[in-house]
Amino acid sequence: MKLEGKSALVTGASRGIGRAVAAALAAEGAAVAVNYRSGKAQADEVVKEIESNGGKAVTVEGDVSEYEAAQRIVEQSIEQLGGLHVLVNNAGISRDALIFNMEPTDWLDVMRVNFGGVFNCTKAVLQHFMSQREGTIVNVSSMMGLRGWTGESNYAASKGAINAFTRCAAVELARFGIRVNAALPGFAPTDLVQGLLEKDGGKGILRQIPMRTFATVEEVAGVVTFLAGPDSSYMTGALVEVDGGVGTMLGIGAPL
Amino acid sequence: MAESQTISAVQEAVVGALGVSEDEAAPDATLMDDLGAESIDLLDILFRIERSTGVKIQASDLSEYIQGGIPDDEFSDENEIISEKGLEQLKKVMPQIDADEQRGNLHAENVIKLFTVQNLADMVEQRGGSAGS
Repeated sequence: MKLEGKSALVTGASRGIGRAVAAALAAEGAAVAVNYRSGKAQADEVVKEIESNGGKAVTVEGDVSEYEAAQRIVEQSIEQLGGLHVLVNNAGISRDALIFNMEPTDWLDVMRVNFGGVFNCTKAVLQHFMSQREGTIVNVSSMMGLRGWTGESNYAASKGAINAFTRCAAVELARFGIRVNAALPGFAPTDLVQGLLEKDGGKGILRQIPMRTFATVEEVAGVVTFLAGPDSSYMTGALVEVDGGVGTMLGIGAPL
Repeated sequence: MAESQTISAVQEAVVGALGVSEDEAAPDATLMDDLGAESIDLLDILFRIERSTGVKIQASDLSEYIQGGIPDDEFSDENEIISEKGLEQLKKVMPQIDADEQRGNLHAENVIKLFTVQNLADMVEQRGGSAGS
């Protein structure tokens, strides 16, 4: 097991990718703090599942978009797990709309949770990580942060901000023994992207993915776990695409 | 902690953070002017010192330590040139400064540039009175 003796905090871990990340980190031996904002019952389930597999996990409630809450989340994680070595900034929301119809609160709310959460939790772990000269931070970003998509301007901007922040944080923190990387999922069928898949069961999107399948949350969690662990020890500032090839493609085309 | 241990801990931190040689990190070398330390380097140095000595110093503590609790408007005059009272204080924390040479010329924001490896070691020594071992 690659993360034996390490402790990890995963934000927004009651469902979706965060839940899978919590399970994957625990499977590598890490003790995991499962952060949630409103899904207490689901978070409890995640902990139970990890425990039934012989792992250690606790729930930590709190809204990462508030800095004080982020500080408390980090403090409680350190206290309950007896330390902290890994932070996975995963919590995120979407408020899809055409820019023409988008309300100012739509971009601000998304920015507060998605990028604000990354900033707040990153800042909150620094004193601890810098003191111990050890820590890995993995931001769950999105291919949307690199490319455009109708109706996702606010979400894409928040992920683009996360990508830029990932690079800067990596540069600033490298000398303190802290690595910062991001995983950029393409399309993984979670609650967050439900709207995109509603129209035709996602067929229209599937046709645009070279691999012709959506990412499973476990596939995304596998990359996050790699970035959190010792196998990526010389990587920092990387934006790792987990997208079935979708970002590689210029467009759907064939020579004939 | 013995004073000799403190100065070696500080020198080790400076060498590690700035990538300078041990000779360059001499006690009388100034951190910023001679060794080229920037704010992120200072942060690195202070975290390294905390790790090796257990003495915790925030970057913001430095100017407070140098100024010794003297309010800004007494430490320097209206043109931000260090006052007589300020020079007196500097003698205590940065004894290498030649007060006669600096009188009337030393701008408040340049004081930190004269802060040496030894000055930092003295500060660590003072702060570590109870925390250090």
